[in-house]
Amino acid sequence: MSVTQQAVAIDGGFARSRPARHKWFGGIHGADYVWAAAFAVPYVVIFLAFVLYPICYGLWLGSEPQLYAQLWDDPRYFTAVLNTVIYVGVGVNLKMGLAFLLSGFFMRKRVWVKTLLVVFILPWATPALPAYMSIHWLLNGQWGMLNNILWLLFGWDGPVYLNSHWMGLAANIGAYVWKNLPFWTIILLAGRMSIPQELYEAAAVDGATGIRKFAHVTYPLMANLYLVCILLDTVFALGDFNATYFVSGGGPAMSTEVLATLGIRYAYTVALPRLGVAEVMTALPVLVPLVYILMRKLRVSEGQL
Amino acid sequence: MGHLSRRQMLVSTASLTAAGVLSRPYIANAQAKTAVCWIGQGFVQQEDVAMTQVCDDYMKASGNKLDYSIMPFMALNQKIISSLTSGDVPDLYFHDAPSSILPQNAWDDKIVNVNDVVAPYESQLSETAKLGSTFYNKATKKRDYYLCPIKQGATPFHIWGDLVEKAGLKMSEIPAKWDGVWTYLKQAQKPLRAKGMRKLYACGLQITTVGPNDGNNLFTHFLIANGGEGIITPDGKLHTDDPKIREAAIKSVEFMTNLYKEGVVPPEALSWNDADDNNGYHEKLFMMDFDGTLSTELAMIKDKQAFYHDMQVLAPKLKNDGTPMKTQINAGGGFIPKGAKGVEVAKDFMKYFMQPKVMNANLKGGLGRWVPAIPQAVKDDAEFWLKSDMPCLLPYVQEAVLNPTLPVFEGYTPAWGQANAEQLWGQAHADVIKNGMKVADAVDKAFKRCNEIFSRVVM
Repeated sequence: MSVTQQAVAIDGGFARSRPARHKWFGGIHGADYVWAAAFAVPYVVIFLAFVLYPICYGLWLGSEPQLYAQLWDDPRYFTAVLNTVIYVGVGVNLKMGLAFLLSGFFMRKRVWVKTLLVVFILPWATPALPAYMSIHWLLNGQWGMLNNILWLLFGWDGPVYLNSHWMGLAANIGAYVWKNLPFWTIILLAGRMSIPQELYEAAAVDGATGIRKFAHVTYPLMANLYLVCILLDTVFALGDFNATYFVSGGGPAMSTEVLATLGIRYAYTVALPRLGVAEVMTALPVLVPLVYILMRKLRVSEGQL
Repeated sequence: MGHLSRRQMLVSTASLTAAGVLSRPYIANAQAKTAVCWIGQGFVQQEDVAMTQVCDDYMKASGNKLDYSIMPFMALNQKIISSLTSGDVPDLYFHDAPSSILPQNAWDDKIVNVNDVVAPYESQLSETAKLGSTFYNKATKKRDYYLCPIKQGATPFHIWGDLVEKAGLKMSEIPAKWDGVWTYLKQAQKPLRAKGMRKLYACGLQITTVGPNDGNNLFTHFLIANGGEGIITPDGKLHTDDPKIREAAIKSVEFMTNLYKEGVVPPEALSWNDADDNNGYHEKLFMMDFDGTLSTELAMIKDKQAFYHDMQVLAPKLKNDGTPMKTQINAGGGFIPKGAKGVEVAKDFMKYFMQPKVMNANLKGGLGRWVPAIPQAVKDDAEFWLKSDMPCLLPYVQEAVLNPTLPVFEGYTPAWGQANAEQLWGQAHADVIKNGMKVADAVDKAFKRCNEIFSRVVM
């Protein structure tokens, strides 16, 4: 028997004796298997303790049907649902649209554009709470900077922004977009930068101009990344508490509350944490399909970023 | 050193982990005389120093150990609620204003009964402190002590005395009746604006719809001033069907919304958060404010001119019918969660803390932002409480200790806290101001929702 034949025979025999392990553990065995298990254990423990347990605990906390009856009975809940839809729908799409346009702008190779990019990133690098509180004060009708500037420049007394439902909601969305726009711009910029220049050069040889290049090269290659970003940001925006809590405070008359802030109000202002959890759980029918689609989209298809 | 095989290393690691986990209970048992305490941070540094001192003194006197952490108000609130929900609790919570937490959790039978701790001092406690420390438990179907009351705080008027004079008015001429205070002081706006204070408003009326507390607190005081203090009775029953209560609520909403419409209240007040009125007052953007405790003044203690001369504190004196005004008092202190392992030490610490001398030394050390729950402690230390060189202290002590008071209504039933959390009264003001609703309709709408909330909490 040749060396090759011996190796095949040994391997074949081993494989026959441990077929299941081959299937489940990628062919590792013996000491390697123990080592692999030892390295995996911390991750499994962390996953169980910090992912699976909190989710199960949350489901258990919000499992009483009467909590949902109580939510149904509360007029603020429906206002919060509607506001969340507007907040997420407008906030995410506005932000991603702007981020996509800006990522094209920041592709330019001039020095001043690169310098501007550094300044542009600052809102994202600023801690969220002081930033949102500053916006709250900036919008104060009586002593806020915005109205003081209006007075100094034009002699106008500006409106009381946060006394209006629509202006309050717009302020929350604006603050959220302003804070996170740089992050998504950078992500999309990285996506654009990874498109091979040869594709644009080939398109140019074929006579494509700016819009055609965008339609036939940039758009198809960026579409998947853009959609993944939209999905991810939708998940983030659904759970965003800071912008609403620190900019409008949910006011006026709790008319700008979103699910995240109302849940916290139930849990910590009224000391009804189960109701707070139940309220957040009502977002699950939207969140779970979103995460599922996101996971499917993360399987990168050919010709997509 | 010999070679360590992979197998040996794995076995050693597993053994060390197991030893660490299994030995923990014995270590814990060896420290059975320890209590883990979560304590609220003070508004001024002196409060924290005083709190640390009382903990150290107790440990020295008893030989027990207090493993205490001092944390900010909101963080403490969240940690308390989370721990009571999960069951992973410390041995003692010490909270300045637990009225949003205690009623619901006492109701749910999650707090240890402290009748035995309070009993030796019960006869010395103010009636308001007693009412504010007893809560209804739906399991035992009775009210008991669940809070060891140490401190209490009132809500006075805060007025920039220098602006009153600049406007040509006099502090000594401010009327004694509740509405009169606002009506007199609102006159200051015109002359002050004429003197160049373009954006100054006379009244820092917290007509807020944002909350969490200021707007509710203000409305309740208006209600009391108009004879509506019986809206809820100590048995937890709501009396919105009483015409007298409805009339008091209508008068209150009408007066407050009229002040707003007259333009003597910052328009922004409808959406103020808890800090906005303090910031605005400190910046002299309005002349007076009605807000809890002396934190407004103590925040400016380093500005000698403001603290000792310009800022004035005034206790509400009379209701609108001329009878003495009862202001609401909030009780703070210690409470013990069920499931705590060091209940014995926690109770012992509270017994120590409730001694009038210990209580007094602690609150005096905190510059009097809170006053003792035992009135005699104030009288026994008149040098500090009644003759202090801090001008804000005497009127505050008069209001909180010497004048008639009521506990905050949250203590009567958790339902009141839920009604407040919905900002029902702020919503009523907004309905009148922004939506053009009639005052009576706005009040009826708020009462209807209040009734719905109370119907869920049957005592």
